[in-house]
Amino acid sequence: MILRRKAGRSALIAGALASTLVLAACGSTADNQPGGTTGAGGVKTDKGVTDSTITLGIMGDTTGVFKNLGAAINAGNSIWAEDVNAAGGICNRQIKIEIVDHGYKADTAKTLYPQLEPKVLGMVQLLGSPVLAALKQNLIDDNLTAAPASWSSEILNNPNIMMIGTTYDLEIIDGLAYLQQEGLIKEGDTIGHIYIDGEYGGNGLKGSKFYAEKHGLTVKESKITSTDSDLTNIVTGLRGDGVKAIVLTTTPGQSASALAANQALGLNVPVLGNNPTFDPALLQSPAANALGNLYVAASSPPFSSKTPKAVEVAAKYKQKYAGAPLNAGLHVGYVEGLVWQAVLTKACESGDLTRVGVQKALTSLSSVKTDDLVAELDYSSPGTPPTRGVYIAKVDPAAEGGLTEVAPLFTAPDAEGYKAPHQKG
Amino acid sequence: METFVQLVVNGLGKGAVYALLALGFVVIFKATEVVNFAHGSLVLVGGYLVYALKDSMGWIGAAVVGIVSAALAGLVLERLLAGARNADHNGLALLTIGVDVIITEEIVRRIGADIPFIGDPYDSQPIQIAGLTIFRTQSIALVVGAVLITAFFLAFRFSSWGVAMRAQAENREAAALMGIRSSRVTATAWLVAGALAGVAVLFMATQDFSGAGLGRGTHAIALIAFPAAILGGLDSTAGAVVGGLVVGLTEALSAQYISFEFSKSAVFLVMLLVLVIRPSGLFGTKELSRV
Repeated sequence: MILRRKAGRSALIAGALASTLVLAACGSTADNQPGGTTGAGGVKTDKGVTDSTITLGIMGDTTGVFKNLGAAINAGNSIWAEDVNAAGGICNRQIKIEIVDHGYKADTAKTLYPQLEPKVLGMVQLLGSPVLAALKQNLIDDNLTAAPASWSSEILNNPNIMMIGTTYDLEIIDGLAYLQQEGLIKEGDTIGHIYIDGEYGGNGLKGSKFYAEKHGLTVKESKITSTDSDLTNIVTGLRGDGVKAIVLTTTPGQSASALAANQALGLNVPVLGNNPTFDPALLQSPAANALGNLYVAASSPPFSSKTPKAVEVAAKYKQKYAGAPLNAGLHVGYVEGLVWQAVLTKACESGDLTRVGVQKALTSLSSVKTDDLVAELDYSSPGTPPTRGVYIAKVDPAAEGGLTEVAPLFTAPDAEGYKAPHQKG
Repeated sequence: METFVQLVVNGLGKGAVYALLALGFVVIFKATEVVNFAHGSLVLVGGYLVYALKDSMGWIGAAVVGIVSAALAGLVLERLLAGARNADHNGLALLTIGVDVIITEEIVRRIGADIPFIGDPYDSQPIQIAGLTIFRTQSIALVVGAVLITAFFLAFRFSSWGVAMRAQAENREAAALMGIRSSRVTATAWLVAGALAGVAVLFMATQDFSGAGLGRGTHAIALIAFPAAILGGLDSTAGAVVGGLVVGLTEALSAQYISFEFSKSAVFLVMLLVLVIRPSGLFGTKELSRV
């Protein structure tokens, strides 16, 4: 009797254990483990890919602080997809894009991600450093490759990141080298750096500190938050410090405030900004006349660039999106698509269009060319920025998009020697 | 030294606008003993109308409409509070928070993706004097503030409304027994506070003052004036002016000599310090209890 009771209890425990194991299996990320099914053309597929379509996602910003830039990046992604589809698609499949808008809010992005993730193979655009930070583990857990519209080298420890172009630290190193080459700053000068607290600002600051150490510059740092709008008191202080240039890793509105104060206070020093610091909408603001001192360092050419591919994409954009803001986001969006195209083509050749197959394809590419929309990209060394080259553009109200290219794609020697935070070797 | 003087100029210019806003809080508190948390939304009402009308009727016309509308919005709010006559002052203050949220969200929704600047005639036109930069927006705000505050003080001291209001602030029941119509005094106070908010916003949504156009940020600035009113003394009009200037100077000087991050909390720290030493604020009436 006792024995029977013990056996009954053992059976109960065994049953409970079995149930627990079954439930645990259901709750695990088994769906995301290597595997998948074989689809059309004998290509292995899992999420976001059918026999006729490849679905990519956009988590963008069309309502937040980078809304104008975000809208143009979305348009660039879409124009690329249309071009690809018109040419027959990739792997005999049409590209489909699913878009969500997080308004540059990480908490909103966290809510939207689970709705988007099951539908897509990867993300052709994931905008915003705070958003990326919030979703870092999700991307890893889901094996989801994403092209960030965010260029911090700090995120390169995430194997799921498909960095498109140069990182913020390198933009600043190249930009300062340009200012020095033009005689606008010299060895031993003091420069100011106003930066947003967080991954974006911190990464830009790394660049100015590195360059300053190499060239005996003194950097006066001013940390702000993304919601600060009036930088007059900071620039007043920088004037007192005798700065010869100001570096900005800020939002466009904050750039306008710094530039307006730079002029109003009679400082009038050159101002170098990372690629997100300028928005042509500023040319309609009261600060319009003070923007002329701004130099922007970016991986992609400005809207008005004469680079043939840039001209072609800009023409399509103006035709399809008449009246939409003209900014460099267009080329950023298009080139994100071009890199995805290279990766998907490689994955298709390898017969594996699963998420894992995409990651393998990415790291196997050591030379992705984009018709100079960004410099040649090398993804074979994870942790290392895929390129170090930038364009330098200067504010010019007469130019479409408000920026004129003043230096073509180049890489400064100091940028070549810079070791990024997660770079191995 | 040059930096210090420039920072003082920056701080005083901003302080003038904070003083206008703080005066709005004080006028209402004196008349009704209600803390008006909806002051930021009165600011947005005025600013929104300037933004919506300046292209069609010119900046001056739009500014007048904006000021009058903000004043009338204050009056409407007063009528709403009068409807809740049985609520105590704390309850009414909470009611103003609710009203504030509703108005602010609606105006922010209407403004949409734009962040319009509304200081067209004077914004981003600095004046250089002896190596100092005087921001035109702040200097005009200083003059307008001085004129309005002086006019307010004179009216407060010599007009029958001012006498009535002071009497009501002193002793509401005794004032009523002396034939002072409380509702009229209160309504006028809300009108004046609304008009002051309508004037202040003309300087707030500018590149010079805030570096940002009309929006949620403008509303947030209006709340920075709250410490100005409290540290000056919530029932002191002179205190509102001094409090505004203290807030402006604290912001500017702490940003340079401590850190920009600290400057945002410095204002509240100064307010706390003042309240610890003088619980009624710098110029507020000390509460006495006879036993």
